[in-house]
Amino acid sequence: MPKSSPFIGYWLKTTLSLWVIAFVCFYLSDTEIISLDPWSELQRMGLGLVSPDFFATEYLLEALWQTVSFALLGVFVGLLWGAPLALVYTNRFIAAMCAVIRSIHEIFWALLFLQIFGLSPITGILAIALPYGATFARVFHDILLQSPVTTVQTLPAHTDKISRYFYGRISHVIVPILAYIRYRFECALRSSAVLGFIGMPTLGFYLETAFRQGNYHEGAALLILFITLIGTISFWCRPTLIILYLFCAVFTLPNIPSVDGMLLWRFISQDILPPALQNLDGFSQFDFTQLLNWAYKILLEQALPGMILTLLLALSALAMAHLVSVSASALAFKPLTGSIFSSVMKLLLLILRSIPEYIFAFIFMMLLGPSMLPAMLALALHNGALIAFLTLRQSDTVSVSADFNGRIDGYCYDILPKIYPNLMGLLFYRFEVILRETAIFGILGVATLGFYIDSAFSEIRYSTALLLMACTALLNIVVDLVSRRLLTQSTRGGLACR
Amino acid sequence: MGLFKIAAFITLSTITSSAFAAVFTFTAIPDENESQLRTRFEKVALYLEKELGIEVNYVPVKSYSAAVTAFRNNQVQLAWFGGLSGVQARRLVPGSDAIAQGNEDQFFQSYFIAHESAEVLSSDSFPNLNGLTFTFGSKGSTSGRLMPQFYIERNLGKKTKDVFKRIGFSGDHSRTITQVEAGAYQVGAVNYKVWETAVENGTVDTNKVKVIWQSPTYPDYQWTVRAGVDETFGEGFKERLTQTLLNMNDPDLLASFPRSSFVPADNLDYEPIENVAKAIGLID
Amino acid sequence: MVNFEDLTLKYTDKLAISQLSLSIKHGEKVAIIGPSGAGKSTLLFHLYSLLKDNAAFCSQKQGLVDGLSTYHNVYMGSLARHNWLYNVVNLVTPFSVPLGEVNGLCHELSLDVPMAKLLAELSGGQRQRVALARALYQRQPIFIGDEPFSALDPLMAEHLLKLVLARHSSAIMVLHDKSQALSHFDRIIGLREGKLCLDVTQDELTPELLAHFYSHESFPQPCNA
Repeated sequence: MPKSSPFIGYWLKTTLSLWVIAFVCFYLSDTEIISLDPWSELQRMGLGLVSPDFFATEYLLEALWQTVSFALLGVFVGLLWGAPLALVYTNRFIAAMCAVIRSIHEIFWALLFLQIFGLSPITGILAIALPYGATFARVFHDILLQSPVTTVQTLPAHTDKISRYFYGRISHVIVPILAYIRYRFECALRSSAVLGFIGMPTLGFYLETAFRQGNYHEGAALLILFITLIGTISFWCRPTLIILYLFCAVFTLPNIPSVDGMLLWRFISQDILPPALQNLDGFSQFDFTQLLNWAYKILLEQALPGMILTLLLALSALAMAHLVSVSASALAFKPLTGSIFSSVMKLLLLILRSIPEYIFAFIFMMLLGPSMLPAMLALALHNGALIAFLTLRQSDTVSVSADFNGRIDGYCYDILPKIYPNLMGLLFYRFEVILRETAIFGILGVATLGFYIDSAFSEIRYSTALLLMACTALLNIVVDLVSRRLLTQSTRGGLACR
Repeated sequence: MGLFKIAAFITLSTITSSAFAAVFTFTAIPDENESQLRTRFEKVALYLEKELGIEVNYVPVKSYSAAVTAFRNNQVQLAWFGGLSGVQARRLVPGSDAIAQGNEDQFFQSYFIAHESAEVLSSDSFPNLNGLTFTFGSKGSTSGRLMPQFYIERNLGKKTKDVFKRIGFSGDHSRTITQVEAGAYQVGAVNYKVWETAVENGTVDTNKVKVIWQSPTYPDYQWTVRAGVDETFGEGFKERLTQTLLNMNDPDLLASFPRSSFVPADNLDYEPIENVAKAIGLID
Repeated sequence: MVNFEDLTLKYTDKLAISQLSLSIKHGEKVAIIGPSGAGKSTLLFHLYSLLKDNAAFCSQKQGLVDGLSTYHNVYMGSLARHNWLYNVVNLVTPFSVPLGEVNGLCHELSLDVPMAKLLAELSGGQRQRVALARALYQRQPIFIGDEPFSALDPLMAEHLLKLVLARHSSAIMVLHDKSQALSHFDRIIGLREGKLCLDVTQDELTPELLAHFYSHESFPQPCNA
C-alpha cells in the first residue's frame, strides 16, 4: 500500500484534527470581549493579593482541617468500593455503571445528596467518594491490564490463585497505584474545597463568599493557604500519618444530623418524579402526553442548547489546554531553560493547577466580559497546567541524549517525541474531566448543562435536574467512548499517570 | 471507621425513620455582607437561647435553595428567608408561617442600575431596555431576580430572553454592582439596600453607574417558622418565638441582618410574591 | 521424560517451530543452541508447559517485580509450598524461616545484597541471579532455563551453571553462544529456523561441527526438512 504523505504521522494528524475541530468550535462560540472598565475592580483584586488578610476568616483552622478531612474520607470510602470493582471491571454492566457515576460532577452529586442527607458531612463525603470510586475502578483496572504477565509464568505450577494474584500481579502495580492514589488525593482536596461553594464547611465556603462579595484581602489569603496546602502535601501527608489522620477525620467530623428515612422515601417516590407522575392515585390518572410534553420541553429548551454549549466550550478549552501544556512543559524542562527559570515555572504550574477554575473564570470575566471566553481560558489554564505537571514528572525521568544541545530544536527532536504520546493521552483523558468541570461555569452563569441543572435545583425542580443530569451522563459516556477509541488506536504503551 | 460510622448512621436512621430535632436550629443569609456569618449569627443564637430558655443552634448556608432544603428536611426550624425562598419553603412544608419581617421589608425595592455607556437615562417610567445586556443577581433572589424579571416582562410585554441581547446571573448583589461598573453588563437589577450601602461606603463610582429606575415596593425578607414547633418545643413556643424576634432591639444583633427592627408579618403578606413567581413560571 | 513428534508451533503470523521431533530422558542435561530467531525460547516454553509439574522455569524475561524486595522476589519460588494466607502475610512481614533460607541461597549465588533491598535498585547481573535464585528455590527435579547466565561474567556463569546442574537431576537450557559451558551438558541440540539441525552427545561435539552449525552453510548431516 503506497503512502502518499509518509511524514504525517499519527500524532500530527490527531493534533491537527483537534485544532481544526477546536477552531470551528471557537468560531461558533460566543467569545465577544465586552468590558469597558475592569481596572478599578482589578486594582482592588491586586491590592487584596499584595496585602492578604489571614485573620478575616472565621473558624479558619477548622475549615482547613475539614477540607483535608473530607478529601481523606472521600478518597478512603472511594477506595473501599472502587478498588474491588477494578477486579470485575471487565463486566459491561459494572463498567457502564461506573461511567455514569463518574460522568456527574461532584457538585451535582452533592446537590443531590443535599436533598437526602441535608447539610451533613455524609453529603460531602459521598459526593467525593462516589465519582472517585468509579474512577479508581477504571484506572486500577487499566493499570492491572498493563502489568506484565511474565512473572506469573515463572511462578511454581501449583501456586494458589490468591498468592499468584498478589505476588504476580498486584506487586507489579502497587507502585503506580499508590502514586495514582496520591495524585487523586490532591484532586480530592480541590473537590473538597469546591464543595464548599454549595455549603460544605470547607475552605471553598469562605473562598467563594470572599470573591463573590469582593473581600479580596480575605480571598487572597484563603487562596494562598489553599495553594500552600496542596503544594506541601508531600510534607504533611506521610504514609505513616494517614491512619492517624483518618481517625482524626472521623472523630472531628461535624455533627451528622439524624437522617430521616422518610426523606429518602419522599425523594425517590415524589421529588424526582416528573410533575405528571406526582400525586397519582391510580394508573387511570396517568397522563402520558403531559409527561412527553414535559420531557420534550426540557430536552428542547434546556438539554439540547446546554449540550451544544457544553461541547463547544469543552472542545475549545481542550485545544487551548493542549497549547498551554505543550509550551509549559517545555518551559519548565530544566535542561532546556535552566534551573532557576524552570523552578519558577514549576511554582507557576503549582499555582495554576491549585486555584479552582471558578476563581480564574471570575477574574477573566472581569477582564473580558461575560462571554464563554473566560470559562475557556480558565479551563485551559487549569487543565493545561495539570497536564504539564504530569508530563514533567515523565520528562524529568527521560534520559537526555549526550548530544542534547539545550535549545528548543534539540528539545523537539530529543524530548518531545518521547513525551508527546503520553501528553496527548493525558489530554484526551482530561477531556472527560473538562467536560465535567463545565458544570462549575454553569453555576457562574455560562449556559452549559450545569447552568440548567443549577437553575433546576434552585427552583426546587428535582425531576428536571435529574433529567438534565441524565443528559450530562449520556454526553460524557459518548465522549468517553470516542476518546477511548482514539486512544486505543494509538498508545501501545500505558500512560505514565492519568 | 469512616464508612462504618456512616453506614451505621444510614441504616439506623432509615430503620427508625424518626427525625427528632432535639436542638432548635435556625439559618439566615443576610442580603448584604456574608462574611463572618457564624460569628455574627451565633450572637443571635445566644440571644434566642437566653430569651427562650432552650438550646439554639445556627447553621450557615450558602444559598437560598440550600436554606429551603434544610427547612424542608427539618434541619432548621426557623429561617430568615428572602421573599421567594420563604414562599417556596412554606409551600413545601404546609403549616409553616411567616412570623416577622424587617421594618424595611414591608416596602422593599429593586433598583435598576446602568453603566453610563448604555446611555439609559434615569426616569420614573419604565426604561426601554430592548437590545441591552442585563444581569440579575442570584437565581433564587427576590429583589435581584424575581421582581425585576416580573416588572420587565410586564412593562415590555415580552419574555426577558427576548428583551435582552445577553442575560447573566451574577450570583450576588454586590457582584451585580461590580459587573455593571466594569461594563461587563450594561444594566443590572440590585437590592436597593445593597446599592445604598455601596454608595455610602464609596465602593461604587456613581459617575459610571447610575440608578435608572426604582421598582414599586413589595414585601421581602421574613422569619418563617416550621410547622409543628409547638409540639416539639412546648405549647405556645411559636408565640414566644415571635415575641422574642419582635423584641430584638440590640443594634449589634440587628446589624447582622441588617434591619432596623422586626415587625409582625403573616403568610398573606407574601401572596403577591407567590403570584408573581407563578406569573413568570418560577413556581408551578 | 518428554517425547513428541512432528511438533509445529506458530505465532499469529510466523512459524516458530516446524515439524520437530524430540525425546528427552530423565537425568539428561540438554543444552539448546542456535542463532537468534531460531525458535529456541518457543521450544523451551513448550517443554516447560509439558513438564511444569516438576520443573522450575527461569525465563529470559525474568518476570521480576521491581516494586518488591530481593527476598520477596526469590521467595516467590516457594509460593506453591505454602497456603495463600501464609504467602500474603509474608508479603507484609517476612517469616524468619524462609528469610533464612533465601538469604543462604543468595549467598551461595554470590548475591550479597541486603534482603530488603528493592529489586529496582539492583544491577543487571544481580537481577539475573535473583531470577535464578527464584527458580532454584522452587526445589524441583527439572531445571528449565532460558539463557539464565547471559548477563554474568564467564567465571561466575560457570560457577552458577555447576551449581544449577548439581541441584537438578535433569536440566534443559538455552545457551546464547558456543561457550565452553557446553562441556557441562550431556547432549547439545541445535535449532535453526524452527528446525532441528543438530542433535549430538557431548562426545560427538567437535569445534568444527559447531563452527559449521553456525556458519549457515548446508550441513553435513541431513536436516530433517
